[in-house]
Amino acid sequence: MSDLVVSQVAKSFHTTSGDLPVLCGADLEMQRGDAVAITGPSGSGKSTLLYIVGTLDVPTSGRVQILETDPAPLSPAALARFRNTQIGFIFQDHHLLPQCSVLENVLMPTLAGAGAGKPEEERARKLLQRVGLGDRLQHRPAQISGGERQRVAVCRALINQPSLLLADEPTGNLDRATAAAVGSLLLELCREQNTMLITVTHSTELAERFPRWCELADGKLLERKSAA
Amino acid sequence: MTLRKFIVQTLLYHWRTNLAVLLGIAAATAVIGGALVVGDSVRESLAQMTLDRLGRIDHVLHGPRFFEESLADRLAGSPAADGWIESVAPALVMRAALETEEPEDSTAVNRAGKVNLYGIDQRLWELTEHAETPPPSDSELILSKNLADSLDVSVGDDVIAVLELPTAVPRDSLLGQSDDDVREIPLTVKSVLSGDSGVARLGLQPSQQLPHNAFVALETLQAALDIDQRRRSSSFPNGRQARVNAIFVAGKSAVHQAGEEVEHLNDALRDVLTLADLQLRIRENERPAYLSLESERMILENDVNETAAELGRSGTSASPALVYLINEFNSAKTDETYSMYSVIAGLDPKIFTDDAKSPFGPFQFRGIAPEQPLGERDIILNTWLADDLQAEVGDEITLKYFRAGSKGELGEESQTFIVRGIAELGEAPAADRGLTPQVKGITDVDTIQEWDQPFEMDLERLTERDDDYWTKHRGTPKAFVALKTAQDLWTSRYGDLTSFRFVPPAGQSLESARAEWEQELPKSLPLQQMGITFLPVKALGLMAAGGTTDFAGLFIGFSFFIILSATILVGLLFRLGIEQRAADVGLMLAVGFSPRRARNLLLAEGVILMVVGGLLGIVAAVGYAHLMIYGLKTWWVGAIGTRFLAVSISPLSLLLGFGISAAVAMIAVWWSLRGLTSFPARRLLAGGALSDTVSRSTRRRGKPYMLYGCAGTALILVLAVVSGLVPSNEAFGGFSWTVVAFFLVGVLSLASSLMFLSARLRRESRASAWGRGVVGIGRLSRQNAARNRSRSVLTAGLIASATFVVAAVAAGHRNPAAERPDKNSGNGGFTLVAESSQPILFDLNTEKGQLQFDLDDDKSQQTLQSVNTIAQFRMRPGEDASCLNIYQTRLPTILGVPHQIIHPPDGERRFKFANTPGENPWLLLEQEQEDGTIPVLGDLNTLQYSLHKGIGDTVETPDGGQLKIVGMFDGSVFQGQLLMSAANFERVFPNEKGGFQYFLIDVAYDENKSVAKNREAAKQVRRLLESRIGRGFDSEFVADRLASFLAVQNTYLSTFLALGGLGLLLGTFGLATVMLRNVFERRGELALMRAVGFRNLSLTQLVLLENGLLLLWGLAAGTLSALLAMLPHLLTTGADVPWQMGAAILAGIFMAGMAAALFAVSKAVHTPVLETLRGE
Repeated sequence: MSDLVVSQVAKSFHTTSGDLPVLCGADLEMQRGDAVAITGPSGSGKSTLLYIVGTLDVPTSGRVQILETDPAPLSPAALARFRNTQIGFIFQDHHLLPQCSVLENVLMPTLAGAGAGKPEEERARKLLQRVGLGDRLQHRPAQISGGERQRVAVCRALINQPSLLLADEPTGNLDRATAAAVGSLLLELCREQNTMLITVTHSTELAERFPRWCELADGKLLERKSAA
Repeated sequence: MTLRKFIVQTLLYHWRTNLAVLLGIAAATAVIGGALVVGDSVRESLAQMTLDRLGRIDHVLHGPRFFEESLADRLAGSPAADGWIESVAPALVMRAALETEEPEDSTAVNRAGKVNLYGIDQRLWELTEHAETPPPSDSELILSKNLADSLDVSVGDDVIAVLELPTAVPRDSLLGQSDDDVREIPLTVKSVLSGDSGVARLGLQPSQQLPHNAFVALETLQAALDIDQRRRSSSFPNGRQARVNAIFVAGKSAVHQAGEEVEHLNDALRDVLTLADLQLRIRENERPAYLSLESERMILENDVNETAAELGRSGTSASPALVYLINEFNSAKTDETYSMYSVIAGLDPKIFTDDAKSPFGPFQFRGIAPEQPLGERDIILNTWLADDLQAEVGDEITLKYFRAGSKGELGEESQTFIVRGIAELGEAPAADRGLTPQVKGITDVDTIQEWDQPFEMDLERLTERDDDYWTKHRGTPKAFVALKTAQDLWTSRYGDLTSFRFVPPAGQSLESARAEWEQELPKSLPLQQMGITFLPVKALGLMAAGGTTDFAGLFIGFSFFIILSATILVGLLFRLGIEQRAADVGLMLAVGFSPRRARNLLLAEGVILMVVGGLLGIVAAVGYAHLMIYGLKTWWVGAIGTRFLAVSISPLSLLLGFGISAAVAMIAVWWSLRGLTSFPARRLLAGGALSDTVSRSTRRRGKPYMLYGCAGTALILVLAVVSGLVPSNEAFGGFSWTVVAFFLVGVLSLASSLMFLSARLRRESRASAWGRGVVGIGRLSRQNAARNRSRSVLTAGLIASATFVVAAVAAGHRNPAAERPDKNSGNGGFTLVAESSQPILFDLNTEKGQLQFDLDDDKSQQTLQSVNTIAQFRMRPGEDASCLNIYQTRLPTILGVPHQIIHPPDGERRFKFANTPGENPWLLLEQEQEDGTIPVLGDLNTLQYSLHKGIGDTVETPDGGQLKIVGMFDGSVFQGQLLMSAANFERVFPNEKGGFQYFLIDVAYDENKSVAKNREAAKQVRRLLESRIGRGFDSEFVADRLASFLAVQNTYLSTFLALGGLGLLLGTFGLATVMLRNVFERRGELALMRAVGFRNLSLTQLVLLENGLLLLWGLAAGTLSALLAMLPHLLTTGADVPWQMGAAILAGIFMAGMAAALFAVSKAVHTPVLETLRGE
């Protein structure tokens, strides 16, 4: 059985002029180590799908199963725990906490659990070393560049060794070269950590570099490029 | 990386917002803690004032009786007091007036009434704190500074003390001296005591007001009052002991043992008290041989009679008697036969029977013995009188006699009796001279012409036979009636026997029985009931220092709107801070923080801010308390009338203040976090304000039932108060129902106005913003205000609550000085109120009464023509229970209400009553209470705030009597007093001096003249009465007295206003913060508008209009709510609203608010457009 199953997921929003359907039976299956890029026009529901898979939103109908777990019936606390241990998020706007150092930002998700001990700190350092920020551990977000901030956000998403990494326009705010670097880094880390990666992007350049590429159209996912 | 470190880093990073929150919490803590410290300080200061005032004095015995001075030494030597008394000091404590002649005009005098004149010697002086000032001697006088100032005298100046001469025989009784009752003592000021000196504030009643104290040598005062020690002489065959009316005791125990100590002291008093101390004596009568208990007052008190009857039960044969002076016996047969100035005796009718026991019976009768029992109009004449009147058994005899009225008038009354027997005068018991007590100047002179009697005699009708009888038989009664008949006709409020005659059981000599009775009677008397008891004045004073008003509660009440503003501000700022970090919260949720954990993390930040702010607030609380105490000693000194206040800090109060503000702050923080973590993480991650326009609450629509409910309830409450359905009595904690209604109306109308604003903003959020020019800008500004509805409503609420205070305080202002005399008001139609140091016995409304004070000359009569009436009240001085005294009082001054007030001759009731049933509530004073209590009336303020009582409650008198409150005056001149009918007054306080000490004067008011001209006319009446009556008669305008009471209220209002102003300052600060935040959030939007061509002026208009809308709404809501809440006051009392000042304050608030907005908008329009658009 697949490690991630998205089955017939539909989502519609209430508006003054009636219900607005965004997703209409989206399907997706992934195994650990898989990386999928999802593209589609603005408003097509890419981010909505991402947040549903990330358990931050609930589908109107359909089912999501991650590592054979259906998060829907979980209590808020259990769901938070599940998200903390199994899912990592990367956003277009990196959302680094300005009051914390680079290292502390990476360690931030550990605070949702037992807190950061020596092993977590060691892992954070290694991750930061891995993304080329080993000499910037004590810098504040304001003291590093946009690309570097996004790399910190990637490390933060990976600190709890999640099985699923979700990236929402991770290169949207970056220049071309930096975007390419961040895209490569994401794919490399995904492979290294045997993590599933879903990236929502407008960038076909980035999407082409992914082994799988799906396009969201009319509320459904259409496979444009399959893994060999 | 730990949670703690994360929280601290976050707090420090957002230090600006957090500092503002922290300061808000500190402000709330400072205000609450400071208010509690103020309460402690006032209590402690009052306690300290008590200790300063009394020095080493712990207990005092004081009353209307004059004991022998030696009682003090006897007490000190009593075994019962051994180990309890450190020292004892006898003294005279008198109420006097002091006068000085003006140097340039000998007819003009400076007068100070209500002076406490202490006759003291070294013994009392040593118990006081007097800063090395030696005690007075000879004719030296020591004055407290305030008294010296009011008399305008200094050391070396001459002063005359005017005070009442003590008399054993009550002045309002037949043999009482109603004139020659005043003694003037010339004295020279030796020193002036500063206000800091403890003895300058010596007083037996707890009050923080500085008394007018004067001290003179005890011996000097005793001599002047004719109660000094005399050696044996022809005038004083047995000599005379000096007398005092107060004994001060310094105890050995700590204050908390005062109760036990005073019990021992009262036991010792019972042991050493003699009959002489009580002006009682037991006389040995020679023929017939018996003992007679008599009083120097001429009448035996009922308590004494009852105790004597109890003592005489075992084997003693007793015969109580009431004798009375008859002006004229007249035979009905002819006018020619009469007998003048004779004594009649009322005796137990049994002694007129044959089997009556010696020595009081049996009587020997000429002819047939009278039928028994004697009827109420039956009389027995002695043979002398029968012969004089040529009367026989069965004849009618008319008696004429004086009855002393309460105003000193002697009305002659008559009564006809039927002769039932004629007793032989030749021998006892009819020839018993001992029936009539000895009266100096009467029973000891040889002829009637020599009598030194206080009433007028018709000497022309006196016959030789009358004189012969007097010479031979002196006061031997000429006639006898049944004791009950005599008591029905001639009893007085002081008692109903003149002597209690008794013979000891067989085998006991008169001498031994007399010694036994002299020993036992004082021990058996109900001393407490008779008011002869030591009171632990220091312990009582310290207890009273608990205060009539809880100043902590009062200042928390005063500071309520600061606390409210600070709380709203804390909530608002904390919320703003959180909204600023909405994306961070979204991130937390996204990375796996549970909503609860995320909320707890934010709460933890709030707790830290609360603790640090609270600790800062505790420090500030001390400062705030110092400021408030300084205010109470200076700006608001009218509220408590003393400058002897010091800050006293109790750690417990600070802790309590911290606890309360912490709870309040946490509620604010909790409120600001409510629902935050239930927002979708995705939306939180999107950042920006959590605008209400997209929040769930927008989906809640429908009829605004809450708004209708609040507004409707407020209106109903106002109507209920106006129509008198809401009672004015105490609801709880010193708050009346009308005050509760005021707060409810205020809160409800404020709430409904804010709900209305909220509903309007909700509509605005859905409205189109299209329009040209100012209209378009106006619509846009309204939409902007609607974007974050709760923030806008809170801001308006902040301004509205502070405005409410300002407007309510302004609307509550009253000025009684501008009020005219009105029978249905607090002045009762009276212009002047007066009190005298000595009782005045005469009716000042009558020619006779006016004659007594030389008011019969043409000029005086012309002035008195404008006087409609003078209501004269009996007075029992008590504690000052008005709002001018902040000590807790137990029994206030009690007034006996004259008949003319209860039953007004013109039928028009005087004074305005509150919640009191009946057309004329004065009549309630005459209603018999089933439970035996005495009905009294009192002023609502006194009852509510000083005594904490309402209608139906009772007040206990020192002798255990119960006074039941049957009605309340509304804002009357009777503040601090309780009123009962004069008849009840005489019954309840038989030992109080006769005469009147409280006067209300109705001076005709000329409607055609101004208030000032009318006042001038009344001033002439005032001057005339004060100069002629003397006796410390001191008057003032009723309006001024009401104004002095109101000065306290107005001072409290000023305090309220000042603290409300601080709240308003916080409100304005809050408004500025919100405006800055609004502008900051929309800086991109504003920059865009500038980029597309909006001028800075338009943007300024946009922000100012939005701000102005909220500001105006807040001001209007606060003002209208206050006016609605104060409507009952505005409609029903002499409201004197300073509209202009109120409008100026509101305009000031508006300007300050707009200035804050201008500052915010100037920040926005000076931001570079490009950088702002780029989001840098």
